[in-house]
Amino acid sequence: MPPSGSSSVAAVWAILRKECRSEWRTRYGINAALLFAVATLTAVSFAVGRLPDRTDLLAALLWVVLLFAALASLAHTFVREVEGHTLTFLRLVASPAAIGIGKLLFNLLFLAVLELVTVPLYLVLMGGPPPRWGPFLLVLGLGSLALATTTTLVGAVVSQARGRGALFAAVSLPLLMVVLAAGVSGLRAQWEGNPAGPEARVLLAYVATVLGASLLLYDHLWED
Amino acid sequence: MALRLLLFLWIAAALLAGFLWAPLASGLGETTRVLYFHIPSAWVMAVAFTWSCAHSVLYLARRKLEHDDQAAAAAELGILFCVAAAISGALWAKAKWGEYWNWDPRETTIFFLFLIYGAYLALRGAIEGEEKRARLAAVYSVIAFVTVPFLTFVVPRLYSSLHPSPIVPQRGEQDSIDPRIAVCFVAMLLGFTALFFWVTSLRVRLARLERRRERAAAAAGGTA
Repeated sequence: MPPSGSSSVAAVWAILRKECRSEWRTRYGINAALLFAVATLTAVSFAVGRLPDRTDLLAALLWVVLLFAALASLAHTFVREVEGHTLTFLRLVASPAAIGIGKLLFNLLFLAVLELVTVPLYLVLMGGPPPRWGPFLLVLGLGSLALATTTTLVGAVVSQARGRGALFAAVSLPLLMVVLAAGVSGLRAQWEGNPAGPEARVLLAYVATVLGASLLLYDHLWED
Repeated sequence: MALRLLLFLWIAAALLAGFLWAPLASGLGETTRVLYFHIPSAWVMAVAFTWSCAHSVLYLARRKLEHDDQAAAAAELGILFCVAAAISGALWAKAKWGEYWNWDPRETTIFFLFLIYGAYLALRGAIEGEEKRARLAAVYSVIAFVTVPFLTFVVPRLYSSLHPSPIVPQRGEQDSIDPRIAVCFVAMLLGFTALFFWVTSLRVRLARLERRRERAAAAAGGTA
């Protein structure tokens, strides 16, 4: 019998809570991602110095830092299940779509924590002009949603392959070029006083497309 | 055999006609000849990736390994034609823009298509078990394909491009193309498309034979 709507929501909520609890117990995922993001940020800041009037570079480097940190960490929710041999049990209690959405929400939360530390630090260290907060947060939020949506599905695929660490970045990055292009263009536009609406619409359309396809594909991820 | 010979003669005749019979287009000069190779290569690349995605969807629906063979063969050939389009485009860019590679949005797009499908092949190589490989590769192929329209149509609009656009002349501009150029161009387009389907069928037959040989060897090992 297919799960009802309310039981699916309960399953998603339970998986999100389980992920948060697992992460909180070990904290190795978030600690590693934060260290990686801050190290990348420091390397970038040291290499190029402060960029008060280079909005093109400011926008590009911020997304590069976020992308590197995300690619270093966002597959670990699925990898943890495979390495701990807990995926089979998880599949017994929840549908593939509920598992996928639960992990997507966790990845989103993970990215939000990462950005809460990285973005203010980046703005201070790089010395850029103050952002227009509305468009800035809109582009950042939609870009993060797109990042999490893509990497969650790719993480689920790659966690079942050999050499998943290197493969995850190699397989995800080309798919994320649209997010990078629209995100960089949107952040640059808001810094230059231009509307960031077109880029926000591109990101929204990308999220809707990838999320829609993911919901159809989650059922095919685990069968053996 | 007769069809293969006809295909060879067709492409050879179209190429010769492009060099000896069709005139040069105004504004393009000698680089007109690149048109007969570059656009058909890019067209076949698009056909190949669409074919690969269609067979990935069919595999997920029917679970027949024949569809996986088709998807993998089409992706391999799509990469080959992607490289052909990139090299011929780079030669044209050197003649018209002075540099082989300018990171123009169209050049960037073709480069990322190459990376996306290169990642598809890398993923296939990292998954053990033909059923699992076929299923996960099909999932990745579908998610990769839904991002392609964003790379092809949206990203080039976010950044200014030097690439001639529209590629196919609009209504009212038809008269500006010499009919001999159009004949050679369409002949090459058809020839390249037929070449793709022929080589794909060869690749699929080879995959089928390899699978039969592996199963026979496994059966012989089991009975010994």
